[in-house]
Order: sequence, then C-alpha cells, then structure tokens
Amino acid sequence: MDNLAELLHGFTIAVTAPHLLLMVIGVLLGILVGVLPGLGAPNGVSLLLPMTFGMQPVSAIILLSSMYWGALFGGSVTSILFNIPGEPSSVATTFDGYPMARDGRPTTALATAFGSAAFGALIGVILITFLASWVAQVALAFGPAEYFAVYFLAFASFVGMGGAAPIKTVVALAIGFAIAAIGIDTVSGSVRLTMGVDELVKGVSFVVAVMGLFGIGELLVAVEEEFHARAVSSKIDWREVFRAVGRLPRHGIALLRSAAIGCWMGITPGGPTAASFMSYGIARRFSRRGRYFGTGEVEGIISPETADHAAGTSALLPMLSLGIPGSATAAVMMGGLMIWGLNPGPMLFVDSKDFVWGLIASMYVGNIVAVALVLLTVPVFAALMRIPFVVIAPLIVIICVVGAYSVSNSYLDVVMMLGFGIVGYLFKKLFYPLAPLVLAIVIGDKAEDAFRQSMLISKGSLGIFFANKLVTCLIVAGIALLLLPLVLQLTRLWRKPAPSTDRTTAEEKVII
Amino acid sequence: MISRRALELATAVLTGTFGVAVVISSLDNGIGWSSAGVDAGTFPFLTGVIIVIGSLYNLVRGVLPAATLANVPIAITSLELRRLAGLFVPAAIFVAAIPLAGMYVASALYVFAVLAIPKYQSVPRALAMAGATALALYVVFERMFQVSLPHGALAAAFGF
Repeated sequence: MDNLAELLHGFTIAVTAPHLLLMVIGVLLGILVGVLPGLGAPNGVSLLLPMTFGMQPVSAIILLSSMYWGALFGGSVTSILFNIPGEPSSVATTFDGYPMARDGRPTTALATAFGSAAFGALIGVILITFLASWVAQVALAFGPAEYFAVYFLAFASFVGMGGAAPIKTVVALAIGFAIAAIGIDTVSGSVRLTMGVDELVKGVSFVVAVMGLFGIGELLVAVEEEFHARAVSSKIDWREVFRAVGRLPRHGIALLRSAAIGCWMGITPGGPTAASFMSYGIARRFSRRGRYFGTGEVEGIISPETADHAAGTSALLPMLSLGIPGSATAAVMMGGLMIWGLNPGPMLFVDSKDFVWGLIASMYVGNIVAVALVLLTVPVFAALMRIPFVVIAPLIVIICVVGAYSVSNSYLDVVMMLGFGIVGYLFKKLFYPLAPLVLAIVIGDKAEDAFRQSMLISKGSLGIFFANKLVTCLIVAGIALLLLPLVLQLTRLWRKPAPSTDRTTAEEKVII
Repeated sequence: MISRRALELATAVLTGTFGVAVVISSLDNGIGWSSAGVDAGTFPFLTGVIIVIGSLYNLVRGVLPAATLANVPIAITSLELRRLAGLFVPAAIFVAAIPLAGMYVASALYVFAVLAIPKYQSVPRALAMAGATALALYVVFERMFQVSLPHGALAAAFGF
C-alpha cells in the first residue's frame, strides 16, 4: 500500500498542464522518429537531450520517456504498412500485420496493434508499481549463465514453435549468428569475420539487415506477384478503429499470456525483441488458428505487440532500480539522469522519490496520451496504403537506402542492404524462415558473450548451466522446446508411415 | 524461366560459400580453449560448420527429385523475371549513382526515371514527385534531425 500512496503522489506531479503538454510533444516527436526509417527512439532521445538540460529532472524524463512511447508505437506503423520494422522488437509484428494490411485491412491491423500494445504497456507499468522491490531482487540473481539460459530459451522456443523445414531453420539461424559475430569481438577485443574489408569492423547493423530482408526482399516478391493491380479499400473508416479495439477482449487469453511473457522477458534481460518473437511462436503453437499465422491473423498481431510493449515498459525497471540500462534508449536516458544530477541505482528510490514516482505515474498517463494520439492518426497512416504500387515501390527503395545509410553514414551499408534484399527474396521464395535469422543477428552476440563468460567462470565446465534451480529450469525448458518438433515428427511417422506430400507444400506456404 | 530446383541449388551454394568463408575466416581468431577462456573464433567456427553441413543437406535435397519440389517445378517464370529486373535494376543503378550524384540528386532522378519512362505518370507529375522526394529528404534529415546524407562527388566539385 506504501507504493500506492507514492503513486498517487506521483500523479499529482505528472498530471499538470505543462507536463501533459510535454507528453503530447514527446509522443508526437516519438511517432515521427518511429515512422521515419533509420531514425529510432535512441536518435530522437539523443537529439532532445540537450534541450532538457535547463528543465526540472521530472519534466525532462517525462518528455524523453513520452518520446520513447511514441517511437515504440510509430515503429509498428511501418512494420504493418510497409513490412519495414523500425525497431528490432517490431519484426515479429510484420509477420501478420503486413499481410493483413496488404489484404485491404490496414486500419484493423494498426488499431489492433495499438490496442494490444497499450494493454501490454499498462500491464508492464502495473508490474513496476507493485513489484518494484521484488523484481529488483530477481534481476540481481542473474549471472552470465542465467543470461545465456534466457537467450537459449528464446532461440529454442522459436525453433521449437516454428514450422519451417528444420535444416533450413538451422541454416538461417547459423547465418544470423555468423553475421552477429562480424566486427569487434566484445570479449577478447579481436576483429572477426571481416574477410579483409576494414569497414566491416563496426559490424553489420540489424537495421541494414532488416531493411534489405524485409523491405527490399518483400518488394521483390510483391512485384513478381503483380499485386499492384489490387485495389485497397480507399474508405477511411473511423468506426473500424474502435471496432478493432473493441474486439480485443475476445482474445483475452492471448493478451494475458503475451503480457506475462513480455513482463518476464523485460525484467530478466531477455528484452523486448526476444519477448515478441517468443510470444509470437507460442501463440502460433497454441492458437486454434495457428495454421493461418503469417497470413494476417489477429492473434499474430496481438501476441508480439503486447509482449513487446510489456517488455519495453518493464525493462525500464532495471534502469531505475539497478542502474543497468536494458536498451540503447535507456542508456541515453540514463546519461540524462546523470547530467540532471541524479544517481541511477537503488538509492534513487530513497533520494529522489518525487522523480521516481512522478516518472512511474507519467508512464500511465503518457501511454494513454500515446494511444489516443496514435489511434487518431491511424486513418492518416492507413491512407498511405492507397498510393499506387508503382509510386510506393521507389519510395520504399529510397526509404531503405536512406535508412541503411543513416545508421552509421556508410555507403557499404547501402550496398549490403541491397544484398540482403536478394537474400531475403531467395529465402522467402524457398521457404527459409527469416525470423530466426533476424533474431540471431540481434541477440546472437549477446548470447555468445553470456556463454563465454559463464565458461570463464566455470573454467570450461558445462555444469554451470545446471548449478541452481533457476538456470536448470530455463535450460531444460529450452532443450525440451528444441526437441519438440523432432518428437512430434517421430510420433507422426509412427502413426502414419507415409505422410502425404502435398500437405508439406501447404504447410510451407504458412511459414514466414 | 528458372526452375525451383535451380533456385534451391543456387541458394544452397550461396549459403554454403558463406559458411566456408566464415569457417576459414574464424580460424584466424583461434578456435578452442586458451588462457583467456573460449577463443574468439570458436563460436563463428561452429556456426560456419553448421551452415556448411546444412547447405550440403539442402543441396542434396535439391538435386534429388523430391516430391515437394516436383509440385512446383517452376519458381520464376520469364514474365516474373522481367518484372523483378524492372524493379531491381533501377534500384541498383540508383545505389550505384549515390557516390557520384549524392543522395538528393540520385533519388530525384530515380523517382523521375521509374515513373516517367514506363509512362506510369505524366512527365510534369513525375517531375513534381521527384522534386518533392528530394526536398522532403532534405528537410527531414538535414534540417530537422541533422543527419547528413551524402552530397556526392558532383556537389563537392561545385563546392557544396
């Protein structure tokens, strides 16, 4: 109840006219950088940071965190409309969001995504409010072995829950790991896999990979299918926005399950990206309509979006309570905290109560403001789908080129992006799954680091992964998930010695 | 016209080559266990080996007349190939032109070319769209977010 009283006090700080205005400004700027290619929450927050030096710390963090919420929502817009994920965590949203939008239901897809994202964020904030101290303890118990176990579980759940040809999945996953390893090795400091190209020392950014794989790759698939003849409904239907949100409670189980996955992955260092992928994979396995995932299923949008935002919100907790930034954006914000004269870490809750609870209260209000603004703009974004394909195609190419370039002002990135486009097209055409590839690019090196650090601690013994209850449970669950497709296949073979062949092709089509 | 089998083979060769490159390159970093723990090359080496083995498997499956492949013998028809080239070739030329012409000029020319040459849009409209694209890029990136896009060798020659 202590927390509740503090929260009420926080609301009196957050809900004032100037702070509400700051939230609106922050969210609108956030949506803008989220929608724009190559610019994300980290860029936006960094650019705004200098303007906050003269502000009160509470006002400053409200502005910056509102921008973060806006950017999270904005990132889903491009995932759904153009199949270009703005953030790693919105990659899973493209799987069903884009097919639904292309199917002529962009409004429904956007409204569903925003509604479930808001739900996820709300659960995340509630969790922060009530479980702050307990959560800090859980996160403190995490060593390298536990980190690795969480990542392992994320990969395993994707392999286990996916449905692609197993060897193709493994190849895609391994390629992703190799791409993640390019550049400077964070453990030893040596340069790896640059193949003599000096510019590769900085590594291959995930943005470059997804712009090519999803943006250009999908464009090539689309131009081949000649879908530009398709007429997308040109009517902007305001009621559909609210109808789509109103339909959300029907998927209550998916919402709650995804929020739970998101919160768990947010507190533990799995992060929003792993959370959204895992949630999507699990939803596909357990949904009665799992077979239709990838073709524009509502639950295929709900699951990743809810988990993404639940994880993104609850991930702010380690930053506040432990002083460990969970993401690039959180790191920039933490830099801000120090400039404003605050000391992130456990003492923050004692020394700067007003700041902490003002921020937590602003998360409630800020997310409500963000949802309201972003829902109001749905018809505007949906209208983008009406632009004819011949016009939108070159624009998407330019978006991808500019996006790839602006990551690190490198022309090589642009060329690599085009290369990824061809790979994306080939993989899509031949039913190699793209999701494990992207997931491995994003968290592959973190998983590797965690593994090597645990090996250092244990002096090379794998026993460290079974050293305590927490890590054993995670590892065993991961192994079980990895073996799941194999077991299912064996039982199917055992029951039905000759599996029909056309079924395989039909299944292949569903795979992302 | 490209058969599904040829496409499978080409992709398997592509991934396999990448795997071999990864394996060879990671040997430079050392594989195995040293005083500093697991060597830097170990992880990439293992992934490289997995890629090579997986690619070989996919290659063999592609060569064998498997039932799944027989269902879709043709992956890309010649008409589809023409459409693909129609999108990709201008895009590649656009990217190739960036170092010389700069992002703004190259993207304006690109938009104009793909809209006006196949007569999707009238010349004035295509011109307007090309101009608007370059202007929007300039305002948003150069002005609002202070991200400098390449101006190109030509612009540099004129002193921009």
